[in-house]
Amino acid sequence: MSLLRLAWRSVLRQRRRTALLSLVVVYVTVATLFLLGFLDGYGESLVEAYAEYVEAPVAVAQEAWWADPDPEHGLKSLPTLAHPLVQAVSPRLSVYALLRSPYRLEGGLVLGVDPEGEKGLSRVPAKVAEGRWLRARGEVVLGQRLAERLDVRVGERLVVETGKAALGLEVVGLVRAGVSNVDFFGVYLHLEDAQALTGALATHLAVKVPRGREGAVAQALSRTLPPGLQAKGVWDLMGPIRADYEGSRLLYIPLLGLFMLLAAIAVVSTTYVSVRERLREFAVAESLGLTPWRLAGQVALEAALASGVGLVLGLLLGYALLWYTSTHDVFGPLMRMSVELLPESGLSEHLYTALRPAYALYAAGVVGLSALLALLFPGRLVLALEVPRYLKEG
Amino acid sequence: MRKVFPVLLILLAPVLAQTPLEKLRTALDRLRGPAHQAVYALWVERPGQSKLYRLKVYTDGERVHLRVLEPKAEAGQAYLSLGQDLYLYDPRLGRTLRLPPTGRSERFLGSDLTYQDLMGRDLEELFQVAEERGVLVLSPKPGAATPYGRVEVHLKEGLVERVLYFDQRGQAVRELRLGAYQRLDGAYLPREMELKDLLRPGYRTRLEVSEVQVGGVPERCFHPLYLERGC
Repeated sequence: MSLLRLAWRSVLRQRRRTALLSLVVVYVTVATLFLLGFLDGYGESLVEAYAEYVEAPVAVAQEAWWADPDPEHGLKSLPTLAHPLVQAVSPRLSVYALLRSPYRLEGGLVLGVDPEGEKGLSRVPAKVAEGRWLRARGEVVLGQRLAERLDVRVGERLVVETGKAALGLEVVGLVRAGVSNVDFFGVYLHLEDAQALTGALATHLAVKVPRGREGAVAQALSRTLPPGLQAKGVWDLMGPIRADYEGSRLLYIPLLGLFMLLAAIAVVSTTYVSVRERLREFAVAESLGLTPWRLAGQVALEAALASGVGLVLGLLLGYALLWYTSTHDVFGPLMRMSVELLPESGLSEHLYTALRPAYALYAAGVVGLSALLALLFPGRLVLALEVPRYLKEG
Repeated sequence: MRKVFPVLLILLAPVLAQTPLEKLRTALDRLRGPAHQAVYALWVERPGQSKLYRLKVYTDGERVHLRVLEPKAEAGQAYLSLGQDLYLYDPRLGRTLRLPPTGRSERFLGSDLTYQDLMGRDLEELFQVAEERGVLVLSPKPGAATPYGRVEVHLKEGLVERVLYFDQRGQAVRELRLGAYQRLDGAYLPREMELKDLLRPGYRTRLEVSEVQVGGVPERCFHPLYLERGC
């Protein structure tokens, strides 16, 4: 306890130096919290976009279909899924088709769905901004931006052509989901119409499971499914955007580590200078009975205290920032611009940062690192102290 | 007898008169022309520029084999339409590809024409036909795979003279004009064709038929193998 008091008194004695050190740690702590919250928030927004809008939490299909998503490799019959975490199941039939309006011809992926089943599985039916969701055959619901490109309106007919057949479908609704793939490319039609266009039963089963359990349920289902069928969780259903997310983590997490190391080095170098200036004081303390290891401990404690003050302030500031960005659509303009630039990415127009207590632990690493480095470098000065020399000099 | 014949004609007139659908069918049949080979000149006009294609065409009225002669960069490309099957030979790839049926509604050689315009029966298959003041008015059958809301077919002496396509908001979007019909071997062949995109000024495609040789076309011309070898 007395060691702590001694260390604390040394820290307070050099207030300007301590304040500067704390500022460095505050900066690094805020950066750590924000970056971790941003990366996790980005990941969560991708999971939400793909699980709730673009794909499904889990999808079950033939292995051949996963390798080559052609309706010919679709399901021959609908398997029964027995797993306690399965909340809803609905068949889907996806096929590439040509969409023809009087003004434009465009290719795209068309999704045949069971209108009622889809309501229990996806948020798309609830995001119809104009018109209504599918009810019967002969109808189609489009992403709003796709409808603008094709120049079709609710109540008009759109021709959907595959290599096997063509249908004239009435546009009954336009979706505005705020998820790029849905708004820019979404084409939803009745499962039976998709069957008429392809001759296939369904390409895959979309499965709803609790958030965070997608991978585990997919693995468990794959073990119990009939041979030739495979279940995939939402992370495996994402397109190239998953690589972007993982790449960001790979880039930013080592960068954060480097930030923390530099902050710890700044703390330790200042402590080193401080220790050099106070070598006589340490010699006196040692002559009064304090062991060199206790003195080295005091040096480490000083570094930890100086960075600890910064950590506490940084945590307060960082969590306040995270709270704000997790409840306010601060990144909306940036995300909307990204959606315009990368409409096929499946990005959401909104991104809220994540807020987790564990970030404080990661940020506290700078305190631990400072103390450890202080023990290694300025601490060694104290351990190698020639007490008589400094006492004589006095 | 002389008195009876006009009366009989008047009585039978409703029976003998063609329905609008029959008129359309007859006009489309005549549009196909006789079996012949010819050179088609195709001008694809865009605002401020025009591109000319010269095509050698072989047809028996149902099937069509078409080879690009000019421009040099695209010479050797060949197309074969066999009912619903459409084949393309691309000399740069050195391969013959079978195009999906959707290819029939795609634009031909970057022009405003589609294969449907050239050889399709969509007007007959997808629309209900009525007649208003001498014009055949076609409205889509329920669920028909057409993006158009209405099509007007103007006939002159039983031959298609003008086809006007309307969108579903009542606006005319495409206009196809056919003219200079030549009677050949008991059939008719339009020697001039013009297609205008009414929504985009300056977008026009013209077709002129010349060097027509009426008569049987060798059967090999309608085999995909001969797309590469030449007919």
